[in-house]
Amino acid sequence: MAITRENVEYIANLARLDPKGEGFDKIAEDMQGIVSMVDQLQELELGDITDVIDTERKNAMREDVPIPSYDKEEILANAPSVECGGVSVPRVVE
Amino acid sequence: MKYEPVIGLEVHAELSTKTKIFCGCSTAFGAEINTHVCPVCTGQPGALPVLNKQVVHYAAKMGVATHCTVNQLCKSDRKNYFYPDLPKAYQISQFDVPICENGYVDFEVNGEPKRVRFERIHFEEDAGKLLHDEGDGTIVDFNRCGVPLIEMVTRPDIHSAAEAKEFLETVKTTLSYLEICDCRMEEGSIRCDVNVSVRPMGSDKLGTRVEMKNINSFSAAERAIEYEVNRQIDVLEEGGQIIQETRRWDDSRGKNLVMRSKEDAQDYRYFPDPDLVAVEIDDVWMEQIRSEIPELPQSRYARYIKDIGLQPKEARILSDAYDKACLLDAGVEMGRVDSKAIANWILSDISKYLNDKALELKDTKLTAAKLVDMIELIEKNVISGNAGKKVLVQLFETDDSVDVIVDKLGLKQVSDEGAIQKLVDEVLAANPKSVADYKGGKKNAIGFLVGQCMKASKGKGNPKMINQLLSKTLDQM
Amino acid sequence: MELYQKTAAELSAMLKNKEISSAELTKAAFARTAAVEDEVGAYITLTEEKALADAAAIDAKIAAGEELSPLAGVPISVKDNICTKGIRTTCASKMLENFKPPYDATVMDKLYAAGLIMTGKTNLDEFAMGSSCENSALQKTRNPHNLDHVTGGSSGGAAASVAAGEVSIAVGSDTGGSIRQPASFCGVVGMKPTYGTVSRYGLIAFASSLDQIGPFGRCVADAAMLADVLRGYDKMDSTSYPRAYDSLTAGMCADVKGMKIGLPKEYFGEGISEEVSKAVLAAAETYRQLGAEVVEISLPLAKYALPVYYILSSAEASSNLARFDGVKYGYRAESFDGIIDLYVKSRSEGFGPEVQRRIMLGTYVLSSGYYDAYYKKARAAQRAIRADYAKAFEQVDVILTPVAPTTAYKAGEKTSDPLQMYMGDICTVSVNIAGLPAMVQPCGFDSNQLPIGMQLIGPRFGEQKLVNAGLAFEQASGLCNIVAR
Repeated sequence: MAITRENVEYIANLARLDPKGEGFDKIAEDMQGIVSMVDQLQELELGDITDVIDTERKNAMREDVPIPSYDKEEILANAPSVECGGVSVPRVVE
Repeated sequence: MKYEPVIGLEVHAELSTKTKIFCGCSTAFGAEINTHVCPVCTGQPGALPVLNKQVVHYAAKMGVATHCTVNQLCKSDRKNYFYPDLPKAYQISQFDVPICENGYVDFEVNGEPKRVRFERIHFEEDAGKLLHDEGDGTIVDFNRCGVPLIEMVTRPDIHSAAEAKEFLETVKTTLSYLEICDCRMEEGSIRCDVNVSVRPMGSDKLGTRVEMKNINSFSAAERAIEYEVNRQIDVLEEGGQIIQETRRWDDSRGKNLVMRSKEDAQDYRYFPDPDLVAVEIDDVWMEQIRSEIPELPQSRYARYIKDIGLQPKEARILSDAYDKACLLDAGVEMGRVDSKAIANWILSDISKYLNDKALELKDTKLTAAKLVDMIELIEKNVISGNAGKKVLVQLFETDDSVDVIVDKLGLKQVSDEGAIQKLVDEVLAANPKSVADYKGGKKNAIGFLVGQCMKASKGKGNPKMINQLLSKTLDQM
Repeated sequence: MELYQKTAAELSAMLKNKEISSAELTKAAFARTAAVEDEVGAYITLTEEKALADAAAIDAKIAAGEELSPLAGVPISVKDNICTKGIRTTCASKMLENFKPPYDATVMDKLYAAGLIMTGKTNLDEFAMGSSCENSALQKTRNPHNLDHVTGGSSGGAAASVAAGEVSIAVGSDTGGSIRQPASFCGVVGMKPTYGTVSRYGLIAFASSLDQIGPFGRCVADAAMLADVLRGYDKMDSTSYPRAYDSLTAGMCADVKGMKIGLPKEYFGEGISEEVSKAVLAAAETYRQLGAEVVEISLPLAKYALPVYYILSSAEASSNLARFDGVKYGYRAESFDGIIDLYVKSRSEGFGPEVQRRIMLGTYVLSSGYYDAYYKKARAAQRAIRADYAKAFEQVDVILTPVAPTTAYKAGEKTSDPLQMYMGDICTVSVNIAGLPAMVQPCGFDSNQLPIGMQLIGPRFGEQKLVNAGLAFEQASGLCNIVAR
């Protein structure tokens, strides 16, 4: 399938990547070649495809038993910005 | 023109498991910020989810109770979007194969039967909480991340705000009957999104739908729907068109505002979560789930009216409260006392006590057997109704048997005819004026005399016997 | 013979016989590293202080006469996409340049419990995406056999650390060939175990359904011994198999008499260099001489493995890497206007071009309107490829193939054309798609004295067959324990 600049910008927006970022034009350009490569799959005839649930593995579940949590400090140690015991981000309205 | 609202709800209920859906962190509400956290629920690189079995159990239980088909083979999917309260930037949910599908609940609205169908019920993880500081920032609390939810999606079967409210109440009652949700509204354990459209009365075409978010209580849902229905009718009446969009309900201001339009509709890129495997509920497990479903409120409500002779209002109060309904049924089952008497005690003194003390039945020591013992003593005139109230308080608070309490408090009635006759004679002799009044035709003077006798007996005289002997003696005078 | 030239099995014996202490061994490993690391550049982070402390602790246990596992006291390197508590784990990305995980991966728990001494964290293509190790944003690793050539990838640092004698064994990860192809390029042994047999808990995910941690060594026995440490059920990983894991070392037997070895014709045609084909076919001849039955087989869907791989792995990667958003950990852009801008700038500045390419492809194949044509189709093709292999394993015990179309190419040769780089994965990706075990070991050298590798693919849980077949070839060919530089 042909990849338009519009496609690229739509995808970049979903992926939270910057289509105007450094070197992104090359990425957009490479997309066409890569998509053409994966398009080879279209020639493979597999008949009617239904999304089946992979049942090779089933029921890997845990019992409802508490395990001690981590310390706040351990979890927040890598956060770029912490305030009042939580990760801080620019104001989110909604 | 007359319009008909068409409403569908998406109800989210937090499941009352001890631990989160994919890790062993506690789900308890109200903890200090970021203390119920671990690598899994905060989306640390490399951490992996392991499904809590109880979540599957609870979700299937709700499905069975609401007449759904339970998909005994289902899976988990990722819903991808960026938001600061979603640490992995995807929510683990269920997409094309939810655990339950095609169910319904029945209830009454103003005495009329109503059925709302469920399209699906699925399990998923809750997001964290965003706290807004005084400055220009937002702080993320991950404690709620990974708290298990079920999402129940209805068909557009609801046609008024009142119906929506009754539906939500029914869902809440069902959840509490199944003991799978705390139903603490103030803690947000049940939340809903509302889809509203309107169409000309009689039309079978659906109008353009508006989704409303941020609805935090059932009454807010009622207000939000009223508002949105009227807004849409106004737009149509003025010749306008409804725009498909998401609006945010602001309950304090009583209005909603556009949050996002259809154009920026999300493309969630659902796909099966490769970190999790299929869930299979085999027949043995399914049978276990079915066996745990108690008789549900609708059925009890009908039974209380028909079998016990309660008023609909009374039956509703009892059937809505699972613990009270269970107390009543256990008492009735014993078959020793009048069923209605048990219901009356629960509706009046027991409810009042619990309300006053802000307690739940399970917080007290009252049992159905002791309640019945106590009522039986009243029915056999061993104690008076008033004494029963005193006994009840002890039943809530102590482990003593009814007999022990009655003894301790000295509440046994005097039903000895000779002793009571003696009391009556004394009271009549001491109150010549009342006797004269009675004789003069003021029959209600007897009330005062009964009171005097009770007083003289220190409350222990059998009131029925006092009444009888007083009347007899007066009439003979 | 220098210490750095010894295999882990030999070092283990020396420790057991008290000919050497773990502390001495560990110091020697760092001395060797100091000597070659400027050229090779295998590591992103060295953890010498911790290693020496750990070695002293093991020595104390040895002195106290404690019963220890065979590899206790032996130095080992770990790929830098495996979480190490409090120790920088970068994925060779600017995004995680300063990230110190709050926990240890399950395999780290296992390595520590077995008494292995971690020397440091090795280089990789950023987030394990790449086949030459040139996509690392933090370090340049060169092939110890020829510094102008690439190590292969993504576990290039792991392979180079073993090939250069910095360590005798290493832990890597393999999503589409990331252990096997660098093992081949660097002339060492590398194993990609059956999916679900080594816990992924703590492995920073590239493509969850394909990723698998595995061992590197310079001989089959070392790889088997390390595999024994790594394998096992983990309740923290839902895709981990709860089953008995028999010791591969205990089951080792260099006998291939009567073993049926399949040569899939699709792996020896166009696109594979003649030198590589020849060397692998010569290995087949060796097997024949050793008494194995070598038969030609067909894996008709082989050519579709590459598109299937790039669709599935990129789709999962686009979701797995979404968590790197500048909020909780990792790189955050210095200036931004609002939350969306924070996301976009942090991710665009923090991720290198190859990672962004894969995220773009993965987002595309999952997006509305394209899911059925790409993702869903690829899943169906994956099932067909699995069935292909299942059929093949009805006829043969193991399958023998080349690892890569060529030997290690020159650095910079393929960096401008990602598609050409992707084509280099054609021999390895189908193994991950099918969830099978495979092992790579040297089978010769090309005209430039660069190693050529061969790949043995086994049925699910068929690691023992791979080890035995590999061992037989190793003994017959003498191509074993090759230390470069």
